[in-house]
Amino acid sequence: MTARYAEEVRRLGAQPAHAGDPAPGPGSVVAGESAAPERGAWVRFAARIVDGTVEEARFRAWGCPHVVAACELAASRLEGHPLGGAQGLSAAALAPALGVPAEKWGRLLVIEDALAALAAAPATSK
Amino acid sequence: MDVTFSTKKYSGPVRKTVHVLSSDPQNSSSPLQVAALVGAPPDSIVFTSGATESDNLALLGAARAGRTRGRHVVTSRTEHKAVIDACRQLEREGFEVTWLRPGPDGRIAPAQVEDALRPDTLIVSVMHGNNEIGVVNDVAAIGAACRARGVLLHVDAAQGVGKLPVDVVAWDADLVAFTAHKLGGPKGVGALYVRPKPRPALQPLQFGGGHERGYRSGTLATHQIVGFGLACELAGADLSAEEARVRALRERLWAALQTAGDVWRNGGAGPSLPGILNVGFAGIEGESLLWALEGSVLASSGSACSSASAEPSYVLKALGLSDLGCQASLRLSLGRWTRQEDVDRAAEALLGAVARLRSLAPAGVLERIR
Repeated sequence: MTARYAEEVRRLGAQPAHAGDPAPGPGSVVAGESAAPERGAWVRFAARIVDGTVEEARFRAWGCPHVVAACELAASRLEGHPLGGAQGLSAAALAPALGVPAEKWGRLLVIEDALAALAAAPATSK
Repeated sequence: MDVTFSTKKYSGPVRKTVHVLSSDPQNSSSPLQVAALVGAPPDSIVFTSGATESDNLALLGAARAGRTRGRHVVTSRTEHKAVIDACRQLEREGFEVTWLRPGPDGRIAPAQVEDALRPDTLIVSVMHGNNEIGVVNDVAAIGAACRARGVLLHVDAAQGVGKLPVDVVAWDADLVAFTAHKLGGPKGVGALYVRPKPRPALQPLQFGGGHERGYRSGTLATHQIVGFGLACELAGADLSAEEARVRALRERLWAALQTAGDVWRNGGAGPSLPGILNVGFAGIEGESLLWALEGSVLASSGSACSSASAEPSYVLKALGLSDLGCQASLRLSLGRWTRQEDVDRAAEALLGAVARLRSLAPAGVLERIR
């Protein structure tokens, strides 16, 4: 049985433009990861920071289509803001935007944890 | 095949009505067609609404009828829910059920059954072919063990009838459940073989008219039984050739899928149903894989359901797979209408989806998700 997905989930999940790793470029790269496959999600965010602003955000994810779509949405929202300054990244914000069913909100908390780890991570590379 | 429906005896005596509705009352009436496919005498067939009812009638009926002789039942953890839930009902009624765990290959060894038998064992229920992983049990050896101890054997053969040669007499089975739609017939009709000699005591589940020799009261769905009979005749006509064809296609699919790397086959080698392939892909999340396959391949994952609360398959769990390994597993079914181009297209879609999902995943999933 395949779950029903909101159109936004289908759009973001089918062609996630922010999947992968940041391309080589100016600035520094930070990363944050949260692995909880038993809870249905394992995600990693990486961001290239230029002059204090997220120039490029990318993600890797293991999870259901809701997880992939939520990561794509979160990554897109990271860009153009200072690290830790973007809005709409909490589970409470991501869930209604994608119509994530209540029983899957725990997976969004895994994403939230990865984003928190990203915000707290020291720059590790150029 | 020309089938003539008669309405004259529609509400008449059930057994005669069924004969009237068949295309050739002498040689190919529905009971004959159904019985012939499983090597049974025609008067041993009880028509039901499907294998679930047949399983329930067999287990509940035999246990309740024999409760003064014993209250012990033996079955396995990988049975269909129709058997598992019937056995759970028997537990609620005071019976003790021994739940056998299959070996790593998914099969129940006859010696396991033999070891589980007790003086108060009434009935053993072991499936012929498993619906999720396709492994086939040696029910003839299990039947011999049961016969030697005077214990009834019930076999859920829903998956194997019409796909593999089945001979309920050679199995030494007392009760065998199967259904029409698994072999190309209509939904809503099935059968229970009830051994004629010695006939097992069976308490009916429903009353009112004494149809089907008192085992199953209620007017029969004659049109469905006609379809069932024809499906049995058709399935039996080219059973060996069709089995070989489907099995070859399945192996072609398996060979193709192995090129993905980090892939395993649940159930492994050994006797199997020809059309079921259960594979696991390391690093894959089942729901995403099913979604990626939408429109190209219809499959079911190792989770009972793709919601967040998805329970891992109890069959795969019984094989020792982790929850994540279950979730990374996919059951693929091939059948009479599957062609080589379908298999090749499915393999291409699966390989593409697996590669894409793995490329999305964080490092380390291949090692941990398996």
